Amino acid sequence: MSTIVIEHLARVEGHGGITVELEGDTVTNVHFDIFEGARLLEPLLRGKRYDEVAPILSRICSICSAAHTLTSLKATENAFGIRVSPQTELLRELMFRGESIESHALHLFLLALPDYLNYPSAIAVAADKPAAVLLGLRLKKLGNTIQEVVGGRAIHPVNAVLGGFGRVPSFDHLISLRSALLQAVSDCDTVIDLIAALPATDFCHSDTTFAALRSPNLDSYYAGDEVMVVSGGNRAIVNAAEYRTLTNEKAVPHSHAKHSTFRGSPFMVGSLARLTVNPRRLTGKLAVAMKRLKLQLPADNPMDNNKAQALELINDVERALEIIEQLLRDGIKDERAIPVHPRAATGSAITEAPRGLLIHSYTYDDEGRIVSADVITPTALNAASIELHFRRAVEQCAERDEAVISKRLQMIARAYDPCISCSVHLVRKS
Amino acid sequence: MSKPKVGIFGLTGCAGDQLVILNCEDQLLDLVALIDIRDFLMASSDGQPACALDIAFVEGAVLTTRDAETLRAIRQRSKVLVALGTCAVWGGVAAMDRGTDRGKLLEEVYGERGREYDSYAAQALHEIVKVDCNMAGCPIEKEHFLAAVAALLNGDPPVYPEYPVCTECRMRENNCLLIERGEICCGPITAAGCDARCPDLRIPCIGCRGPVADGNAASILSMFEQKGFDRQSIARRLRTFAPQEVS
Repeated sequence: MSTIVIEHLARVEGHGGITVELEGDTVTNVHFDIFEGARLLEPLLRGKRYDEVAPILSRICSICSAAHTLTSLKATENAFGIRVSPQTELLRELMFRGESIESHALHLFLLALPDYLNYPSAIAVAADKPAAVLLGLRLKKLGNTIQEVVGGRAIHPVNAVLGGFGRVPSFDHLISLRSALLQAVSDCDTVIDLIAALPATDFCHSDTTFAALRSPNLDSYYAGDEVMVVSGGNRAIVNAAEYRTLTNEKAVPHSHAKHSTFRGSPFMVGSLARLTVNPRRLTGKLAVAMKRLKLQLPADNPMDNNKAQALELINDVERALEIIEQLLRDGIKDERAIPVHPRAATGSAITEAPRGLLIHSYTYDDEGRIVSADVITPTALNAASIELHFRRAVEQCAERDEAVISKRLQMIARAYDPCISCSVHLVRKS
Repeated sequence: MSKPKVGIFGLTGCAGDQLVILNCEDQLLDLVALIDIRDFLMASSDGQPACALDIAFVEGAVLTTRDAETLRAIRQRSKVLVALGTCAVWGGVAAMDRGTDRGKLLEEVYGERGREYDSYAAQALHEIVKVDCNMAGCPIEKEHFLAAVAALLNGDPPVYPEYPVCTECRMRENNCLLIERGEICCGPITAAGCDARCPDLRIPCIGCRGPVADGNAASILSMFEQKGFDRQSIARRLRTFAPQEVS
């Protein structure tokens, strides 16, 4: 028996590794090892008041902190029957877009790109190809600027609260965001040029099941109460209230993340899944870019998630511009957050974080203190699918060269853009 | 002068302080021209774990035996160790209510097997090793990081405000959320440095930068009581980011 071990995965968020065991040519065991410490934030939340919940759970993960904050707020608002204003909905969607732009630019340019170009880091890439890295940094900064303007801070936003915002962005802020976004439109074209020119990553093919929020208005990350699961020609719908059917997870000894399957199949969440579930988004410029990237849906190659992220960058910039245009047209109003009247209730929310489906669900007592909290994150949902694709990649690798296999495994792990801090925070035992 | 060798590390946390470094989009390429980054797992796959370091930046809290071993190894190879962010400086959110029975919590989340996991209550770095400089913030401020690098390059220790958030809040001429609106604002006992970001947005301070050096917790507790909040929940709130025994 031989074993391939990647002790500590670099260029991902958090602490994880990969172990593959082989018996001759047969893969006997595959582990995505997650040894990130368990912070146990969900049980520690017990007894906390409703207004403390989102700021604490934001700290699950920095890269997805806006998504955690907004999903948390929505779950609590659902529990207390709060309906936020259309302006609040738009501003929250704008925050999601800002986070997605930052996260995708960070991942594509600083974490994934060095693999394709055979460099250890983006810093090393910058020494030879500064334009590519500067392009990524510009988009990344744009995403952060949106989050700062709307959320008050790029990481762990403070301005989004139950019922609305502390202080809504000013007209002038929106005007300057609009001009930054307009400048980014041509950057997005350059992204497609750059990604289309990368070497093909054709080393892992597999039937893949995808799950994503089905958006009522084509492309909202924030709205929607139905998850669609697509597997080959089959489609299934899971309502938000029944989210546990998606997450019949089991604890595994090698990981602090529990594994999820849908009707026995691992499934993939994230950019590629979103495009697969909501193909109506792929018109106009996106359709052209998709052709240039040679992306076909449904895809059978997890590496295509990188292409899907590039397409989403275009879509995020376009959608952020639309939102700002609408806010400017309607006139931004200095709305105060809706007052909160707590009650004993359970509320859940499902959204699309940059890496895929994110679920927060809380039960409150009549004073608005947490009785129990569940958080299910994209990387936890992806864990079983990541292992499946590790297995396929090893099986499909003709050379039994450890360095080749090891690089492919790392590239697959990174294509999922795992957020390991997130993955450790999981639903409580039912 | 040769460039100082630098390592950037994360223990258990959200990686937000490392992300702040990567968020210095306008300065990143200049920064790497001034320092020689030898170990930065989140951003690079050619880390040199054996290399001696002039400066180590460490974020996150210590929650596992592995974290503690990693931290000791970093300490051993580094001349200056900087604790980056509130988790590293104070324990952070994972240290809230850290007297709670750990085994029980683990069992609740992971089932019986949970009790076997390598996991203990969060500890700040200084509870394990000697720390030369503490840079609080959840996350740290970008400007603080850049200023710290500049100071350390000159051989100076970085300096942070020793006054509460209220001082910055007053300088921004905000109305007081605590006195005028009766909201639970932790500004009076929280270390400044954020330019009163939250109260400036009409959001009460939640203490994410950790306690100010000479904060008078007893006096603020009695002020909260006068506003009608019960002592126990106030005390718990003040300890969300920094357990009392660390401060």
